[in-house]
Amino acid sequence: MGNNRAGSSGKTNITGDLSYSVDTCARCGFCKPVCTTYPFGNGFEAFSPRAKVHYIKQVLEGKQKLTPEWVDRLYQCTTCERCVENCQTEISLVHLWEALRAETVRQGIGPMPMHAKMREAVDEYNNPYGEPKEERNKWMQPDHSPTEGAELLVFGGCTGSYRMTAMLRTGVTILQRMGIPYAYAGPNEMCCGSPILRTGQLESASRLIGTNLDLFEEMGIKEIVSPCSGCSKTIKHDYPKWAEKLNKNWSGKVQHFSELYVELLRDGRIKPTRRIEKTVTYHDPCHLGRAQRIFDEPREILRAIPGLKLVEMEFNAENARCCGAGGGVKGHYPEMAAQIADKRVLEAVETGADLLVTMCPFCQASFTQSIDKLGVNIELIGVEELLLQSVEG
Amino acid sequence: MNQKARERLEESLGNKVSFDKQILAAYDHDIGEMPALVMSMVDNTPEAVVAADTVDDVRNCLNAARELGIPVTPRGQASSGYGGAIPTRGGIVLDMTGMNRVISMDKDNLTVDVEPGAVWDELSRQLNKSGMDNCIVPTSAPSSTVGGWFAMGGVGLGSLAYGSIRDVVQEIDVVALEGEVATLSGEEMDLHYQTCGILGVVTRLRLTCRIAEEMRPFAVALSDAAAVQAFSQAACEELTPYAISVHSPGYVGMRKEMGEDEAVPGDSFLVIIAIPVGSSDEGALRRVAVAHGGEVLADEIAHHSWNDRFYPMRIKKLGPSILVGEFYLPLDSFSSVVEEIQTDLQRDLLGMEIFVLKGGRVAVLVYILDDAGSFFYQFRMAKALRPVRAAERGGGSLYTAGLWFASRSREILGSKKYDAVTRRKKVVDPKGLLNPGKIVSPRVRFLPLFDVSTMVDLSSRLASPLAKLLIYKRPHRERVES
Repeated sequence: MGNNRAGSSGKTNITGDLSYSVDTCARCGFCKPVCTTYPFGNGFEAFSPRAKVHYIKQVLEGKQKLTPEWVDRLYQCTTCERCVENCQTEISLVHLWEALRAETVRQGIGPMPMHAKMREAVDEYNNPYGEPKEERNKWMQPDHSPTEGAELLVFGGCTGSYRMTAMLRTGVTILQRMGIPYAYAGPNEMCCGSPILRTGQLESASRLIGTNLDLFEEMGIKEIVSPCSGCSKTIKHDYPKWAEKLNKNWSGKVQHFSELYVELLRDGRIKPTRRIEKTVTYHDPCHLGRAQRIFDEPREILRAIPGLKLVEMEFNAENARCCGAGGGVKGHYPEMAAQIADKRVLEAVETGADLLVTMCPFCQASFTQSIDKLGVNIELIGVEELLLQSVEG
Repeated sequence: MNQKARERLEESLGNKVSFDKQILAAYDHDIGEMPALVMSMVDNTPEAVVAADTVDDVRNCLNAARELGIPVTPRGQASSGYGGAIPTRGGIVLDMTGMNRVISMDKDNLTVDVEPGAVWDELSRQLNKSGMDNCIVPTSAPSSTVGGWFAMGGVGLGSLAYGSIRDVVQEIDVVALEGEVATLSGEEMDLHYQTCGILGVVTRLRLTCRIAEEMRPFAVALSDAAAVQAFSQAACEELTPYAISVHSPGYVGMRKEMGEDEAVPGDSFLVIIAIPVGSSDEGALRRVAVAHGGEVLADEIAHHSWNDRFYPMRIKKLGPSILVGEFYLPLDSFSSVVEEIQTDLQRDLLGMEIFVLKGGRVAVLVYILDDAGSFFYQFRMAKALRPVRAAERGGGSLYTAGLWFASRSREILGSKKYDAVTRRKKVVDPKGLLNPGKIVSPRVRFLPLFDVSTMVDLSSRLASPLAKLLIYKRPHRERVES
């Protein structure tokens, strides 16, 4: 028990507690009705998390092999953690999928082609979009002036820096207005590694993480703040393990911007005063909510803004539906990702809110496309943008 | 399955049928962890699966199966461990979970019409929007289906107030093997209750609902089984409980190890009572509790336990497996039988969860921690039936038949119903294609002189004394990663 069990395909990297947890699956299927991507499996049980665990157990026992068809199914997961939230025996299902994905890469049967392309882009440009490294700081405004030697690092992330830049720009503007010194690595900042890690491409992830860790040390960073739920999750949860693995020093505090804003609000350093007479509904990003247990902070910020009325979607907080983008799904299964995003946007529209707000550039990117496509009457905006509007009043 | 049969299925079902072996591998088992030796007695690997989305899909599947002479096993979420959804002769699995729509709600008459694949928890959510709720739900409500529970039979939360699943189903539509659809109620419908779909596939159920009402949970700690029995009897008479469930000290201990129920006094039975807020009388509850030596625990314990009511299998994390015994028992003999079981299996990692039912009965689930990966698991499995036999000596009975207890279907269903079911089976399905091996036990594969259920029963009786001696020693583990 708990040891590596060799399957017919050789040893796997499913070991220790992860291997034990496979045995504890109660086969209850609580993960199945809540799974974001199960509905895309034509109604067949094999696409459910429960069936995937059963299959993995058989692989570990040498009764089944990892095949290209099964690997394709494995990658059809947004890593939203709704399965984890509902699991009776608390199996770390997303860790399990990610470990299996790494195993498929090791065996040469993964990742999916678009994930490999994404990795190639990261290897060359340090971001999965293939954008020029030197343009990583193009989002900055003239009044943004990072402080050399500051212990707080703003980690922009790739989507925040190149695609959906408003959250990052606003966050830095707020720091600037509060007089909080911050450092910024600009073109030296690498992708946090999240999309590469989630798709099992550990070798590239290792390079990115290692380089970022060296950068943190060189810059004397003690704290990191990021507007991205994926980056903050990865740096908060994955970097300490990788630092140990890579023999690097890292013990800094990592925050998502929502945590920092709440601290500023509670300390009375930031005071939203201008009324914003709007109704908003908040989308919990999976990697911020379920993964980091940050459910209350964004709502606390919204409630602090005078005039703003918060209405909840039916599926919210721990039960929130996914935007469809995570886990590499948007990269390789864009149509699936789009349908998932549409469903969430329509749920937001049902609340009657004027604004759909979130705190993740990746979710924001998905919803932007959905809102355009569906032509629905709801505006998309970041929580921090509302906060800044209220403060500036 | 030959090419002609595949083509026939594809012709009528298109992409709703799959022959992919990896997809089929998900359908050769249910929630139970049966040893390989037991599973080898049946051909549990299907050759095709049909994911039904409409009544026409069901009809097309049954028509094709009848023409081709291929067995069909209807399946919900397979969240029962009695083998009712496990194929015994390969063939087709008919996955009904896609037929999960709410067809209509009638708030005036408090009914809802649903497809069989509707999941209980989701149905509650839909009903709540109209101010209604399910009368009863299984503890597996987050995944189990309405049709699956009707096909297997049983009781759940709310059965103290409303009875079994049979009592809340008013009417069903059934597709027979010949393809025709019949609407049934009363005795005709009863033939389809608890018979695993061997007479036809249910495609619609009309359920009785209740007005949605918030529940006020209370938690009471009691020192022994006799006090639990007396308290439960008094609570049923003097209060108006919706549900009463009991955790034995062993089960409380397991949950404590999982970080649950930590504030419950050691070695106590924990009784959780849910009373509709409108009729909840805290003073009366306290009087009944004190009169039986009970301690009413903090509200947060009560709320936590009630909110956790759908998570009985949390303890499996400690196993990593669980042997489960399940039975009905008269409430009058609860104390003596529970004490007998606790004494009999005192060296084991044993917990019990008990549900008080309408009509002075209880349903008992016995959990024994084990490891299905260990060589001795297949022998220790017989241990799960020792509590059942103790219950039978105390006037109790088996919970349901399915596959593994098919040889005892007559006593579970009652002779009259059993005879009616088997007579009907010969008429509507003479070749035994619809869910073969359920209710009427199948022959052992490669050893057709014996039937599977009798073999399981006999071998478990023979192995029982040995099983009692084989104690599972759980290896020490640090708190498992979560």
